[in-house]
Amino acid sequence: MDVISQLQRQFIDYTSSLYREGYVDDQFSQLQKLQDESNPDFVVEVVSLFFDDCQKLVQNMAQALEQQNVDFRQVDSHVHQLKGSSSSVGASRVKNACIAFRTFCEAQNREGCLRCLQQVNQEYSVLKNKLQQLFRLEQQIIAAGGSIPMVE
Amino acid sequence: MLESANGYYFNEYGRNNIQPDMILVEKDYWISGEDGSAKGQFLDLRQNGHVLKLPRLILLATNMSDDEFDKAKAAGFSDTVIMKPLRASMIAACLQQVLSVGMKKQAGKDAPNEPRVPIKSLLSGKKILVVDDNMVNRRVAAGALKKFGANVECADSGGTALKLLQIPHSFDACFMDIQMPEMDGFEATRRIRKMESQVNEQQMVNGGSTIDGTAKKSEWHMPILAMTADVIHATYEECLKCGMDGYVSKPFEEENLYQAVAKFFQSKPKPVSDS
Repeated sequence: MDVISQLQRQFIDYTSSLYREGYVDDQFSQLQKLQDESNPDFVVEVVSLFFDDCQKLVQNMAQALEQQNVDFRQVDSHVHQLKGSSSSVGASRVKNACIAFRTFCEAQNREGCLRCLQQVNQEYSVLKNKLQQLFRLEQQIIAAGGSIPMVE
Repeated sequence: MLESANGYYFNEYGRNNIQPDMILVEKDYWISGEDGSAKGQFLDLRQNGHVLKLPRLILLATNMSDDEFDKAKAAGFSDTVIMKPLRASMIAACLQQVLSVGMKKQAGKDAPNEPRVPIKSLLSGKKILVVDDNMVNRRVAAGALKKFGANVECADSGGTALKLLQIPHSFDACFMDIQMPEMDGFEATRRIRKMESQVNEQQMVNGGSTIDGTAKKSEWHMPILAMTADVIHATYEECLKCGMDGYVSKPFEEENLYQAVAKFFQSKPKPVSDS
């Protein structure tokens, strides 16, 4: 197998595993469909925005949870934001972590919230690594003169 | 209105050419699948040629989990869901949504010579305002609409949206997030409608003359659609009450988006049958 085919194979396998393991869902493939010649870096741009947003929101949640008297509505509103943006990019594990998080906010359970925050942070870090790996693969394919295969 | 306690009756519909316009099904009955044949019959009714007019299928439910909704959708079964207890206003809204969309759908299915207008030609060149306080959501929504040919602008709050929508403006439609800090989507919509009705009254007083010499609309009413992550529990009534024209799921789902915008950006079809 030549280099391009090998890389493409790797890309397909890696992408499939991301879906299979629930890191991303169909919305992520919708994002990929929105990318075209007039919008060639759409996915990378949106994903970067998402990770920045995620980092900011996680910081806000942490700060809010450190307070003497935790304002759980404030925490919940940050989680709600993150749930929305993760849903928009198809980051399904992050989204699911947010859903669980919200129930602890509603219950005003600080310990539970802190655990969820950890979970959210974890999912975000893992996803970030995985997507960076995916984008690297894409760049390698393009550098070798190949095209990115569609993965349904 | 005909009632049926079980699915057997639906076979009769096909055989006797009784053509219901709409079938309301109680969710728990359908999903329990006790009368398994009913499920199949529903789908046959829709998919084979026995009925000339494909009836709209509506689920009635007191509660519905995401799982159940996914099942219903996947079965191609549910055009919409009405939550019980039934309220007249809710039924009216659903009927309007379902019947007006239904006519267009049937035009596509029954007359293969008339292909359904692709979403791209519906939105091409339309100027759309996307209002959402989250930057990621704005970018994704704008990306999808641009792909369909729309000319998109974004606003990060209800307040900004109001400024951009001072009359006269050149927007053809607005997608509005509901939950936003400071001013939520409902409030923003109420204020937009208030602004429009003030202008419309003024225009009537002036004998229908133009404002600032710019292109005059006979009556200002901009299509405003709520974007909601929770379509099932979305307060459709609340959306209508504040003057919205409907809602779409967030993130966008193409079929759902199509049906929502087709109402505004397509000329009214001729009735499919004269019954």
